[in-house]
Amino acid sequence: MELGTDLAGRVALVTGAGSGQGRAASVLFAEHGAYIAVVDIDDDGAKETVRMVEAAGGDAIAVHANVSRRDDCDAMVAATVSHFDRLDVLYNNAAVQMSGRLVDCTEAEWDLTIATNLSAIFWACRAAVPHLRADGGGSIINTASVLGLIGSEGYAAYGAAKAGLVALTRQLATEHGPEVRANVIAPGSIDTPRFRKVAEQMPDQQGFLDGLLRHVPLRRLGTAEDIARIALFLASDQSAYTSGAVIPCDGGLAALR
Amino acid sequence: MTAGVASGELVDRVAVVTGAASGLGAAIARRLSAEGARVVVADVDATGAAEVTNEITANGGVAEPAHIDVTDEDQVRALVAKTEARDGLDVVVCSAAVETRAELAQTSDDDWQRVLDVDLKGPFLTMKHTIPALTRRGGGSIVLLGSTLGAIGSPSYAAYCAAKGALVNLAKQAAIEHAPDGVRVNVVSPSATEAGLFLKVVEASGDPEGVKRMVAGNMPMGRLGTADEVCDAIVFLAGDRSTYTSGTVIPLDGGLAARRA
Repeated sequence: MELGTDLAGRVALVTGAGSGQGRAASVLFAEHGAYIAVVDIDDDGAKETVRMVEAAGGDAIAVHANVSRRDDCDAMVAATVSHFDRLDVLYNNAAVQMSGRLVDCTEAEWDLTIATNLSAIFWACRAAVPHLRADGGGSIINTASVLGLIGSEGYAAYGAAKAGLVALTRQLATEHGPEVRANVIAPGSIDTPRFRKVAEQMPDQQGFLDGLLRHVPLRRLGTAEDIARIALFLASDQSAYTSGAVIPCDGGLAALR
Repeated sequence: MTAGVASGELVDRVAVVTGAASGLGAAIARRLSAEGARVVVADVDATGAAEVTNEITANGGVAEPAHIDVTDEDQVRALVAKTEARDGLDVVVCSAAVETRAELAQTSDDDWQRVLDVDLKGPFLTMKHTIPALTRRGGGSIVLLGSTLGAIGSPSYAAYCAAKGALVNLAKQAAIEHAPDGVRVNVVSPSATEAGLFLKVVEASGDPEGVKRMVAGNMPMGRLGTADEVCDAIVFLAGDRSTYTSGTVIPLDGGLAARRA
């Protein structure tokens, strides 16, 4: 079922699309006419997303990639362009999240977090920008985090990588206009499989959730669909004069801080 | 009020300055010494570190060189252990940085990794190993050298913008986590300054004076910053006049930040 034509005929590459926010965006983009390259390290998840896109009347391919590796980033862009013949939207959504205080962060944790959450986006953009420009202009959407905007406790490498991503996106925006727009979505606490895994590790799950929501003026977790609607806006011409922007999707959390 | 005048702000404090063999880092090392600190002049350039050390001691200061690659955790750990064992540690200034000038599409894997390693992982490793030493001392101050380019985008500085943007969040994180330990962490973010990396970039441009004039003309104050002005802010953050200030950024940018939201 096609809900809109915002992305009719456009090709979108979405990383981390095998679950959560990436999956919700893939389905919503397809409902608005886009062809989707569903990229994930989890092949089963990617295939399920492809099935959901097809069920919605769309067209998608599953592409395997570990974005913490440069070669995989190059290959996922090449596979997308090879299959769909063009690229209009690059949605860098894949990430790893490891918690821990700065003094406890190992070099290996640091390297993996920076590679996956920051270098991967550099690699993907470097590979995609020539295609985005050649195909008449495009939109880059990078998923940062509210933790990249504010200071917090226990997310040293993660917060640094996400803040670096915000700065990199501004840099992209200054460099590749007029053809390419680049923007950031900064999610707060979003109810996705990854979030639930974190919550399940807490000794007092309800206490953890209550504590979290005390800082959220809208008093609920975000949903993958909340994020996907912002991603659709940034992917489409609805946001044609918006570049280098950071849009929080955090229930008001950053305002309270 | 004149920039760059010492006032004994850091008498008997022990300071480690990374990237202290040249440019802004050397100016910082000299100034901390002028304020009365004992300074460890740390740099990957051993010859330059020795020269700066000799200059400081010739002027009656106390300093010693340290040959260190800030991207090597074992070297960072060893330097901190040695410094702490001898004199304790009070002040850390992370000024070691590299800059590459290339559009994103032309940025090589090696340049990207090197900028992220020296400009971001370096301060991470330096903080990781100095924070416990500062905590054992009952507190201390860490100052990171950021950049205006961490707050705004600029064509041809993909890696540098990313690293300096990330650095600010890392400082906030460390500031919050170690506020109860008396450890303060702040950032000074200069724009183009008459010292250091900016001069290297303009020298490579073919028309250094023209580039400097152009950059200065874009600043509300119509001029470049000076090393003395950057040092003034670092001394303020390192010393006891800023004891309730942590996790923040002091821009040294001739008013440029006022143009932002």
